[in-house]
Amino acid sequence: MDLISKIKLDFKEAELYRSQGLLDEAIDKYTAIEALIKANSNIRQRKSLLAKIASRIDELNKKMKRISAPTPPPKVSEDAQTLMKEMFTYDDPEAKGSSSLGGAIALAKFGQYDKAIEELTRLLEYESLRVEAAKNLLSCWIQQNYVEYAVSLFQKWKKTRFFPPEELAIVLGHFQEVLAAAGVTREIAGVELQKTIEPDSEINDEDILDISATKFSLPGGPRKGERVEFEVSFQSGKYIQIIIPKKEKDLINGLNPGNMLKDIIFYSPAAIFSGTGFLSSKKAIEAGPKRGDYSFSIKIIDIKS
Amino acid sequence: MAVINLKNRQIECKLVYYGPGRSGKTANLEYINKNFSKQVAGKMISIDTEGDRTLFFDFLPIGLGKIRGCDVRVQLYTVPGQVKYRATRELVLRGADGIIFVADSLAVRREKNMMSLKDLHENLKKMGLDIRRIPLSLQYNKRDLENTGLPIMSIEKMEKELNRQLKVQSFPTSALTGEGVGKTLTHTIKLILAHLQKEFKWADGS
Repeated sequence: MDLISKIKLDFKEAELYRSQGLLDEAIDKYTAIEALIKANSNIRQRKSLLAKIASRIDELNKKMKRISAPTPPPKVSEDAQTLMKEMFTYDDPEAKGSSSLGGAIALAKFGQYDKAIEELTRLLEYESLRVEAAKNLLSCWIQQNYVEYAVSLFQKWKKTRFFPPEELAIVLGHFQEVLAAAGVTREIAGVELQKTIEPDSEINDEDILDISATKFSLPGGPRKGERVEFEVSFQSGKYIQIIIPKKEKDLINGLNPGNMLKDIIFYSPAAIFSGTGFLSSKKAIEAGPKRGDYSFSIKIIDIKS
Repeated sequence: MAVINLKNRQIECKLVYYGPGRSGKTANLEYINKNFSKQVAGKMISIDTEGDRTLFFDFLPIGLGKIRGCDVRVQLYTVPGQVKYRATRELVLRGADGIIFVADSLAVRREKNMMSLKDLHENLKKMGLDIRRIPLSLQYNKRDLENTGLPIMSIEKMEKELNRQLKVQSFPTSALTGEGVGKTLTHTIKLILAHLQKEFKWADGS
């Protein structure tokens, strides 16, 4: 096949991929044609061909950018919302209303928050469903960044004793998880944080050497299991403090109060020793040059070697 | 999960079109909606976004009339093919009674076909289902491009790569012209009904 025929065929192929919405494949093909034309200076209308290809690649790149940009889920038609709800509606004579709960949760999963909130609010009336409805209701508000409203809703339930204490505790546990997952770590008035019982330490404060750095496996988050080293910014006896910059979201989300750090290593100028640590607090720094960063306090529970 | 009402002699089942992005799943439903008007039992609902990509799913209800004394209705769904919509695919796949896997015949989409089939296998496994036991058909779509001189995989190659272990019925199709679309649908619905018959004996005594 001569060069011109090959370029024509490749161009046809690239145009087909473009028309089919196969953007990656189209870009690859146009780029290959571009390279072929650039390597052969005796092609007629070379300049205009290259310009045409460059414009196609540019257009495709723009389209790809638009498609891959994170966008909130669109609000869909009422028909589609009803369908989403019904997709997960199974008749269960034993659990009145439970089918609607599945439907409402499906609406929330598809990002149809307004309709989901409407349904879930209605389901709060069912004693057997109200805990699940409340949990999902709070999630819906947090997903839309209405943290204050979610907190006020929880406070209202608490004040009016809408839930018996054991149910309120379940809702609170879920609420705190959702808040932590959304990166909301500041204290919220009226929402008592789940008290983590700090394990006792067998170490006397004066027995601890000065620690300059520490290393342990991340107990959670997207990088769970990865061993990461941190500089110690402050130490008070068996408590050490580390600071994680705000941009390190994976690290911040992977560390939460109550985490037991079983394989922790402590580095001091005089020695290296391992042991167990307990993550006792996590706070966002609210002022100063490190504003927005997070400080974590780790209690040294024991030392092995 | 099929809903079988033996008292009213009604069966409602769910058939899901699965496959990589841009392979022609929505085009299948569009063709059925346009050309099987007698069977279409409601409005087709399609939720797409930028560049006609399916965002959540497409839906088309069809009615097959009476089969062995039962009124059979089938809900057709498509999943979003793009890799990032894994959670939505899982959601839509839940409760499926049968699957049509729409593979793209374009040679450049070879790997995407295999990845999507693997994704289907994994999602079914998560739901406690075995890909070899659920009613399943394969479609080798876009066969209309075969005579254009463009790189299209041969049926033999696609069989070898996608169907060597599954050994299910496969159909060369063109969702654009409609070739094979009806055949795949009919065959898969038959598989679903036979599967349901085996499990629930709904046609006994009719």
